[in-house]
Amino acid sequence: MSFAEQLPIVFSSLNTGFLQTLRLFLITLLGAIPLGMLLAVAEMSRLKPLRALIKTVVWAVRGSPLMIQLLIIFYFPGLVFKNPLWGSGEAGRFTAAAVAFVINYACYFCEIFRGGIQSVPVGQEEAGLVLGMKPAQIFFRVKLLQVIKAILPPISNEIITLIKDTSLARIIALQEIIWAGQSFMKGSQGISGAIWPLFFTGFYYLVFTGILTICFAKLEKKLSYFR
Amino acid sequence: MKKLIALLLCVMLAAASALALAEGESDKAYVVGKGKLVVGITDFEPMDYKDADGNWIGFDADLARAFGEYLGVEVEFQEIDWDNKILELDSKTIDCVWNGMTLTEEVVAAMNCSKPYLNNAQVVVLPADKIADYATVESIKGLTFAVEAGSAGEAEATAIGLAVNAVQNQAAALMEVAAGTSDAAVIDALMAAAMVGEGTSYANLGYTLPLNEEEYGVGFRKNSDLAAELDAFLAAFDADGKLEPLAEKYGVQAALIAEG
Repeated sequence: MSFAEQLPIVFSSLNTGFLQTLRLFLITLLGAIPLGMLLAVAEMSRLKPLRALIKTVVWAVRGSPLMIQLLIIFYFPGLVFKNPLWGSGEAGRFTAAAVAFVINYACYFCEIFRGGIQSVPVGQEEAGLVLGMKPAQIFFRVKLLQVIKAILPPISNEIITLIKDTSLARIIALQEIIWAGQSFMKGSQGISGAIWPLFFTGFYYLVFTGILTICFAKLEKKLSYFR
Repeated sequence: MKKLIALLLCVMLAAASALALAEGESDKAYVVGKGKLVVGITDFEPMDYKDADGNWIGFDADLARAFGEYLGVEVEFQEIDWDNKILELDSKTIDCVWNGMTLTEEVVAAMNCSKPYLNNAQVVVLPADKIADYATVESIKGLTFAVEAGSAGEAEATAIGLAVNAVQNQAAALMEVAAGTSDAAVIDALMAAAMVGEGTSYANLGYTLPLNEEEYGVGFRKNSDLAAELDAFLAAFDADGKLEPLAEKYGVQAALIAEG
């Protein structure tokens, strides 16, 4: 098969794979950001056992490779409980991958949120209390905007890491873009021994992270008042 | 707060026990019960590969569909990571591995396998211009070989005493040779026929020197009664004169093992 004949087949396969990559990326963000906020609030709670519980969870999740977490979440229900609960087909694998990614990224986001909230000097809270503001008012009217400004760079860092981390999901045979690219090395749809599609997947990531980088730069600029 | 934690633990415990189902039913009853046989495959021409419409075809795929008909269940093909095939079987995310699988000692020990149905060999892949220099097993001993980790090729190369680099899959082994990071590779003959030579990215590679003879079989879960079921089906399929034409359709008739 000539190169020109290969192109449409390879691109359609890579596009399908990248769509799966994007879906995993978006669902992880939608799940992990709220869950991270919840975890951050719990981690700053006055209840010592709750704080200890969250700290242990965050330690375990951040302290072990995401690849192992994917394997555990996908295979353990069937291996240990004798009940393969994720369902068959690509959809089951996607759900398991999304759950693993949401939990993993929520723990990273949790630490970023907590750091951001605690970076606001305690004097501002005291000043607010002296002026007769309620704690909720102090948080939303005084602290929140400063927190958002403080956490934007580390959050954008995590988000850019996330789009590339999605490729780890191929360990449970989720057919994201790297899987799609690799399939042509071994042979797929009449194309075998083609190396270039795998390396070409890099451009998809580059373009997408390029767009993200521009968006975050604009957002940071927009939030750069108070200077 | 303690009450909340206690409640949380109770919920988790209840969920865990609800997840754990009763064991004991036969594997055939399990598959027939859910009405679906999930076949673990990789994209591997001519055994399992996609046609232009994206449907799975190939010698193994067609045979698996016929077996599904015989059992009265639907057949679903699931692409898997080959390294995880035993994990996939044991966790019931697939019901069998049916993808030109060499019956190695490891495979036979970890799965309940059917009788062999196809012959295969492990062959040496070299840059095409060097093939003439390496005609005997003695002559290749100074080279370093790329092999798929956990593959029959790795076992064979190690047994002969070759220096090996274990890599992720057979395709990566070929890339090692193409990139010059290994001198040669050991892969399946049926795969080498499809992946090396004219019309591939590896046009300047060639293969030679079969190191052994080996056989393909289908793997089921340990203690599964489906392996015996498949043997019975294959014997009947062959007796009906359907196996030979199917093998011819995919060009593997020379490798077919006569039913006995």
